[in-house]
Amino acid sequence: MSAHAAEPARRIAREAAQWLVLRDAGGLGPEQAAALQHWRALSEAHEAAWQRAEALRQRFAGLPAPLALASLDRPDLGRRRALKQVLALATLAPAAWLAYRQAPVASWRADLRTATGERRDVDLPGGGRLHLNTASAVNLGSGVIELVAGEIAVETPGPLRVERAEGRLLTDAARFCVRQLEVGCLVSVEAGTVRLHPATGQVVALSAGQRAGLLPTGTTPVTRFDPEQPDWRQGVLIVENRPLGTVLRELDRYRPGLLRWDAALEALPVTGTFRLDDTDRVLALLAATLPLEVHYRTRYWVSLVPRTHVG
Amino acid sequence: MTDAVAAPGDTPGSLYREHRSWLEGWLRRRLGNAWDAADLTQDTFVRVLAAHQQRTLPTLAEPRAYLLTIGRRLLINHHKRRSLEQAYLDALACLPEAEVPSPEQRWLVLETLHALDELLDGLPLAVRRAFLWSQLEGLDYARIAERLAVSERTVKRYMARAYEHCLLVEL
Repeated sequence: MSAHAAEPARRIAREAAQWLVLRDAGGLGPEQAAALQHWRALSEAHEAAWQRAEALRQRFAGLPAPLALASLDRPDLGRRRALKQVLALATLAPAAWLAYRQAPVASWRADLRTATGERRDVDLPGGGRLHLNTASAVNLGSGVIELVAGEIAVETPGPLRVERAEGRLLTDAARFCVRQLEVGCLVSVEAGTVRLHPATGQVVALSAGQRAGLLPTGTTPVTRFDPEQPDWRQGVLIVENRPLGTVLRELDRYRPGLLRWDAALEALPVTGTFRLDDTDRVLALLAATLPLEVHYRTRYWVSLVPRTHVG
Repeated sequence: MTDAVAAPGDTPGSLYREHRSWLEGWLRRRLGNAWDAADLTQDTFVRVLAAHQQRTLPTLAEPRAYLLTIGRRLLINHHKRRSLEQAYLDALACLPEAEVPSPEQRWLVLETLHALDELLDGLPLAVRRAFLWSQLEGLDYARIAERLAVSERTVKRYMARAYEHCLLVEL
């Protein structure tokens, strides 16, 4: 990019930068303002450079400053090696800026976390394996996992405890999933036995193929599921005759951005196997098989509307 | 697609067959997950194919070194996008209710932030900070100098460098 810029372009950019600094640093007197006008009139390229600078300024001015600062001046910018420098700067930063860093967002401080659309696998210290689904966070201790947000799958050959605000899960050896719901969490056991200890209420033991919700007030009735069915760990979502709205809400978990759909589409029945690592493709696939259209306002803002018949 | 430029051993097809699973393994070890590794592997070969079609694919003595150069660059971009997105979502989560932008606005802002993040890429940290504080907080050079613990003259130099960089990248 800049390294390949032609020499005149480079010179004009440098001169424009000097003018911009001069203007920032204390305003231009009438003579300097006239000199700047003259500089801009030298050629189309001069004027174009100035216009670009103005456009850039407007781009910054249109942003909500606190959000933009927290993102563009984020702590890991120095590629981690400059952590010390960042800490030193933080003490000089204004209060509003600091507030973002110190606010108690539980998942922000968690030991291990995934972004929206990201999944991760890690080995557990005591043997066994932990899988984090999209937008999840956990704290890890010796023989204990605290699920802070999202969804995990655990394979453990030995005793393990999972902590939640609404209670705890205990096992001696098992393969199971825990998914945070709006209230409480859903526990699905694929192999072995897991005991649910709600903060108040009866202990319930789940064996392979059984699932139940853990709530602050107790457990929900045990239901059965198919533990052999591939799921997010294989990167797929399998649905059979489910309402489109349910499927889209599930897809939405894996997509950063806004996914909206017309209410008329909510109940359309959907059957299929979808790959979670390319939700854009899933949407295209839905558009190809259902009477709907996908509109991209931006990469982060997608709406699904009923297909309009033309001609 | 033509295979005329590179030596027979260097066609995208043979690169793909011989090195895809190796590259994917390399990326998986660095990413910690198979899905993103598969994505970035795919992206890497898309670039190889593009270079081949534009006849800029070099004759490769060390095909793996070449693939790693591309793969590494994509990996860094991937981390950058993720870390920006995360910082943004964290900041959103901390915003007082009244100041939270509408959902539509939220994602438009994120797109702009990605573009600006890319624009500022490559600038030294202090230069980037000086520029951001000036543009976003409207700090004057004296305050920036104070915060960075450098002279005002240095801040002017930083700002000139940032402006010049942005103007050239925007070209």
